[in-house]
Amino acid sequence: MSDKPFDPIATWADMVQKWEQEINSWSGKLTESEQFSSMMGGVTRIQLIVQRSVAEQMEGMLRTLNMPSKVQIEALTERLDAIEDSIDRLRLAVEARALKPGNASPAEAVPVPPEPKRTRQPTAAPTKKA
Amino acid sequence: MSEGTGQLSPEAVGERVRREVDRALKRNIKGLEFLAAGRQEVGAMAKDLVHREGTAMLYRYRPVVDEIYRLPLLIVSPPSNKGYIFDLAPGQSMVEFLLQRGYDVFNLDWAPPRHDESHLGLTDYVDRFIPDSMARIEEITGEREVTLAGYCMGGTLATIHTALHTGPGEANRVKNLMLFATPIDFSTMRLFQTWADKRHFDVDMVVDRLGVIPPELMLGAFDLSRPANRTAGRLHLWSNMWNDEFVRSYRMFDRWAAETLPVPGEYFREQIKKLMWANALVEGTLDVGGRIADLSRVKVPILNIIAQHDHVVSREAASPLMTLTGSEDREEILSKGGHVSLVAGPAALRRLWPLIDDWLGKRSV
Repeated sequence: MSDKPFDPIATWADMVQKWEQEINSWSGKLTESEQFSSMMGGVTRIQLIVQRSVAEQMEGMLRTLNMPSKVQIEALTERLDAIEDSIDRLRLAVEARALKPGNASPAEAVPVPPEPKRTRQPTAAPTKKA
Repeated sequence: MSEGTGQLSPEAVGERVRREVDRALKRNIKGLEFLAAGRQEVGAMAKDLVHREGTAMLYRYRPVVDEIYRLPLLIVSPPSNKGYIFDLAPGQSMVEFLLQRGYDVFNLDWAPPRHDESHLGLTDYVDRFIPDSMARIEEITGEREVTLAGYCMGGTLATIHTALHTGPGEANRVKNLMLFATPIDFSTMRLFQTWADKRHFDVDMVVDRLGVIPPELMLGAFDLSRPANRTAGRLHLWSNMWNDEFVRSYRMFDRWAAETLPVPGEYFREQIKKLMWANALVEGTLDVGGRIADLSRVKVPILNIIAQHDHVVSREAASPLMTLTGSEDREEILSKGGHVSLVAGPAALRRLWPLIDDWLGKRSV
């Protein structure tokens, strides 16, 4: 008989862990076969074809309903990303210019925190194993 | 009776029942809170964007001590994942640990690539984004050299960069190479080999049709390697719903996994054809922009950090760094835990990161 008292929650957690290990190990064996590779290749191909066909149909339907499609929202997101990218670059360029001596008036000058000294030396204290 | 006999006294039974009822109540209340909660906040340390080139974003974490090591540390994130995994939350942030130990930490992170960036390939990552980041770091710190670090594919990119830019006539900016769960021998990555089997996986069709590869395509392969993880994770979450710390941690990792990034099609094509199919990095045939990335040219000190139970990058996939590189100063750390546990979480803070500090400190002066 076990020395440990019965703990339903610990037993449940243990059971879940064992189930997880068994399913993962079964899946590992299944995915090693060439048939699986072949099936996956086929699934990916069909998925892409179906995806395109569904997307085209949805696109038409949403246009009829006067609603934005996924493609249009993605295009909008990309434009926003591009604008964000440009703003970041401009901000960095302006900051770099302002930091150069003589380039900025005192009012424009960006307060820069002092850089720490780069003189640190390691302490000689060995650490135990990982 | 004592617990040693396997039976409990009535008082102990009463106490246990009370505790479980209390936890059950908390589970229900906190379960509702969990369902209603927004995105879990991530990030412990203040940082500034210091360079941007489309998908590539270089951040500098603000130093927290007055005296830091001479050599800056540049961490390359994997192109398919967000870099906040290195800085999840106070007490489980690798960046926080490194800043407190006196390192000047930079992170090359990635924004989702736009469709006009679908042409970006390995060359752009290793010959442009990494060197441009180093140049910017030099502008900020005055230091020409860096310790180059990388996690997962970020580590592979760091290694390829070092192999290409080390030696006579090269920039030689990498002083040390520190790699976390970094795949080198792709022939040993069985699941990915099966998933992207040359005979059945038409990578050209996928890339030509999609342009930018959505994360779902790659997440499918991860789910196949561990199909029960998601469900088991939810069940563990329910059991631990009373435990605020567990729930917070779960939500942070869940958010990170859900925010997997798309990758440029050309990068994906090269990854499959050159690394996965031809295993070109190990075979010494990896052509990047017309030059061969030869691992034997990597002569800088290397710290290769591997997770013992990593189901994504096994030890066999990462360990060729210890044999194929030309470095005479190579060290490998085999750490307990899985793929993510190397760069995030309280266990790494206690066990692994102090070892990294030991290794890196003396090579950062």
